[in-house]
Amino acid sequence: MALPMFLQTIEDSSFSTWMRESESPFAFYFVLLFHTFGLALLVGANSLVDLRLLGFFPSIPLAPLKRFFRIMWIGFGINATTGVLLLTAYPTKALTNPVFYAKLAMIGSAIWILTKLQKEVFAGTTVTERDMLARGATLAKWSLVLWVGAISAGRLLAYTFRYILYP
Amino acid sequence: MNLAHLHLLLNHFPIIGTIVGLGLFLISLFGKNDDLKRAGLIVLAVMALLSLPTFFSGIGAEGAIQQLPGVSEPLIDRHEGAAILALFFMEITGALALIGLWQSHKFSRPAPWNVVAVLLLSLITMGLMARVGTTGGDVRHPEIWGSSTPPADDGTLDSIVHTFEPSPAKFTRLMTANKFWWAFMMDVHFIGLVMIIGAVGALDLRMLGFAKQISIASLHRLVPWALAGFALNVTTGVLAFIGMPEFYTYDVAFWIKIVGILLLGLNAAAFYLTDTFNVVEHMGPGEDAPPAAKIIAASSLVLWFGVITLGRYIQPYQNTFSGR
Repeated sequence: MALPMFLQTIEDSSFSTWMRESESPFAFYFVLLFHTFGLALLVGANSLVDLRLLGFFPSIPLAPLKRFFRIMWIGFGINATTGVLLLTAYPTKALTNPVFYAKLAMIGSAIWILTKLQKEVFAGTTVTERDMLARGATLAKWSLVLWVGAISAGRLLAYTFRYILYP
Repeated sequence: MNLAHLHLLLNHFPIIGTIVGLGLFLISLFGKNDDLKRAGLIVLAVMALLSLPTFFSGIGAEGAIQQLPGVSEPLIDRHEGAAILALFFMEITGALALIGLWQSHKFSRPAPWNVVAVLLLSLITMGLMARVGTTGGDVRHPEIWGSSTPPADDGTLDSIVHTFEPSPAKFTRLMTANKFWWAFMMDVHFIGLVMIIGAVGALDLRMLGFAKQISIASLHRLVPWALAGFALNVTTGVLAFIGMPEFYTYDVAFWIKIVGILLLGLNAAAFYLTDTFNVVEHMGPGEDAPPAAKIIAASSLVLWFGVITLGRYIQPYQNTFSGR
């Protein structure tokens, strides 16, 4: 099957070439670094909220954890941006790998759960902790599963690709 | 200074430190002195941390001397196998010591099972570390060989211990034989990273003034979660090092990362062993942490994100310096 030409067009662009070939520590590895920072902020904060909703760390009051959603969104913003840049550097490598689509699907679902948590569990000011736990536990469980899956799929991208560049 | 020099500087700590830590712990049991018990546990935990760079510098030391006349490869291998086994026991002892410290914080003293486990494991570690020292001495000090030329594990106890010591070359092949095993280890390393940053980050941000409605003491309950992440990452990090020792040894980013982790140990000491922890632990929701706590929290954040940064740059900075 012939691979679509636009992959080659992206790879030939000067930005994509610079990302891959520059010796500068501020090229590819810098973007990859911020992808890791974003991951730490987004999943670090989200997993805390998830664990709390699953009944761990009961001494932490639930409602003020609302503040951590902003950190998650900052992390997501960093990773959406750096993710697009990384994809620009190696479009063929990512888009010809089914694992990449699995990763995107899991991130999409995890973010959908994140918005549900924010809107349905952490929005009301009059809701009791018991209500929040009852509403959030199932979402929290799936959130954890999806984030572990997304991280694992992301890691696997380094080991499962078929092409590195357009053949 | 090269890695051989660093190895010689560090290698006394795990051996002597384990004896000191175990000694303090034993005296505390006879004297029923809980402060002394904590001191023993702290020494053991610090030794578990210091054993990491001691172990990591060994490959560089090997690279520096293996071409020299009179240096025998089998002797180095025997020393390295002994070191791997001793390191595993040292790290388990360190983890048990941290659990004991957490229990003394929560219930004013370690649980009985923890006391027994620390005693047993640190005793075994002490014996194994002594053997690491002796086999290491054998590499460069023929004057201690005695009547038989090593490697001769003819003493009954030595030969029994030796059967449990891995062959370094086989261990290395085992770690890299399957790329999905390697991918799994790296995956766990990232999950450990998330656990650490999630827990430590929340605590540090609160001390800096974020989400003040939550008391610092309640967020401090997250520390075991961070330590579990750290345990995952020490395990996967050491296994990865054993898998590709030369890749990490001559990498400047790797070594600065290790320094960063040691500085985080100092950061923890500045938090727990000064008055700072005591002060912030008794603060309620809404209260502002004192400047000392803020400095410690900020440096912890900077150091952790620095450690991630350096980890990310290990790959492009491989072979930044040579072994000799």
